[in-house]
Amino acid sequence: MKKALLYGALTATAFAVLFPLLFSLSLALQGETVSPHLWPDPTKLDFGVFAQVFRKEPLLGRWMLNSWVVSVAVTAGQLLVSILAAYPLALFQFRGKSVVFFLFLASFMVPWESTILPNYLTIAHWGWKDSYQALIVPFLATGFGIFLLRQAFLIVPAELREAADMEGCGRSRFLWSILVPLTKPALATLGIWAFLNTWNQYYWPLLVVDNPVWRTTQVGITAFRSNEIASYNLPMAATIVVLLPTVLVLFAGQKQLVEGLTAGAVKG
Amino acid sequence: MGRMSVVRLSRKNDAAAWVYLAPALVLFALFTFWPFLRALQLSFFLVDRNSFEPAKWFGLGYYARIFNLGETALGDDWVRSIVTTFQFTLMVVPLTLVGALALALLAATKIKGIGVYRTIFTSSLAISLASAAVIWSLIYSPDLKFFDHALTDKHSALWAVAAMTVWTNLGFAFIVLLAGIQAIPKDLWESAKIDGAGPRRTLWRITLPLLSPTLLFLLITSTIGSFQAFTQFKVLIDSVGPDQSTNVLVYALFTAFWTENNYGFAAALSVVLFALLLVLSLVQYRLDGRVHYQ
Repeated sequence: MKKALLYGALTATAFAVLFPLLFSLSLALQGETVSPHLWPDPTKLDFGVFAQVFRKEPLLGRWMLNSWVVSVAVTAGQLLVSILAAYPLALFQFRGKSVVFFLFLASFMVPWESTILPNYLTIAHWGWKDSYQALIVPFLATGFGIFLLRQAFLIVPAELREAADMEGCGRSRFLWSILVPLTKPALATLGIWAFLNTWNQYYWPLLVVDNPVWRTTQVGITAFRSNEIASYNLPMAATIVVLLPTVLVLFAGQKQLVEGLTAGAVKG
Repeated sequence: MGRMSVVRLSRKNDAAAWVYLAPALVLFALFTFWPFLRALQLSFFLVDRNSFEPAKWFGLGYYARIFNLGETALGDDWVRSIVTTFQFTLMVVPLTLVGALALALLAATKIKGIGVYRTIFTSSLAISLASAAVIWSLIYSPDLKFFDHALTDKHSALWAVAAMTVWTNLGFAFIVLLAGIQAIPKDLWESAKIDGAGPRRTLWRITLPLLSPTLLFLLITSTIGSFQAFTQFKVLIDSVGPDQSTNVLVYALFTAFWTENNYGFAAALSVVLFALLLVLSLVQYRLDGRVHYQ
């Protein structure tokens, strides 16, 4: 009896949480109609809409490619820049360390939206509008990534460093062949976080892209929705199509992401 | 021996450290610090619309306008923008935390098939704000007659955007809280049971106190996220909203910058946004010292 109640509650909440997604799927499959119903007629489901959406908006494929290129490049770049910066911050003694520490912490405090105006002017001045570099380069350094990796590097035992040092293992070899392989979980966390965030960006791509060819999927689907205001099935199908990559990344890396992000918050 | 090697290392490391740090420092200088200082500078000037250069000293003029001091042109009410941002945050953050906590407590039980429910509760984490906003714009669409005036009524518009935002936030908050609940040692619950503590008492005396670091983490991330909200307002409303009721700070910034090319004013709004988030961070930093870390 108690168990049945629990399953009832779980199913009801699951349905509520899923409702917007089920609803979008329902609208997508109902064909072109001005007055769609809440649920489709199961005998008249129109799966052709997912192919139709690529015909109706020939750039959709290009937008997805753009999002992949930008997200992968930003993820790789953030990993590289963060690994390099976190290394001396965690393991070296050098003059000016506290200043650098403060600067990185300060970068945390400046919200991206506060710098968006001068950044836009810079990118426009460099003639970078409508290009991959405009979408990639401003996001390559992240205070979050540097601190996350610094924390991970600190956990590597001091004896290991001393042993490596005595065996004449060079500084750069120690980083790439010992430290990086040892901290794969933190690197994976940063990678997934960077990918999801970049894929989901909207404000910046909206500003620096004029030519529709350079749109990312997020800007693309919202523009597509405004153009297709008369029908519901196409915008919904387009939205579902662009959701798939992040859904896959998330289900592949969900456990990793949560463990990495909450290591500090949960364990204290 | 050990000490000698540390000394040797530290002397050699000075130059090397800066080589490793260089990419991050250059990128921060170009895309974080310089732009921020530039925004600070522009916020005190009338800015030339073509060259984007400061043209004439304007002092605290823009700030006076933002805080409704002195004359307000055209009945502008910019303080309202700040108030709306706070209202939006106060709608989104508690609902996200309470909703996600309820889901996490429900999904923490170990029964057959719980994995499916957990995956469903996490699903919104994979959905971008832009996609979620497109989906919800159709839920709110007048043609469908479910919530047809939600976005056009000045009393409900902000709530409608908040509801969409809560839904989008739920997945992340849920999975973080579930991890937090699972990290609580089992014997704590068992001994509470032996002592005859009911489920409500266990929740208030054991679960919530032990979850407080996790809740604080979510409080910080969702508050900052709400203050920076833009995408959902652009996609769902795309204006200042009915009777200006959804003109949050970042949207006002977008309008000043993008629509009106009023760069000095946009820069001043940027600085105000920075200051508000800084104050929030400091408050939360103080709170951090008070939560239980056991």
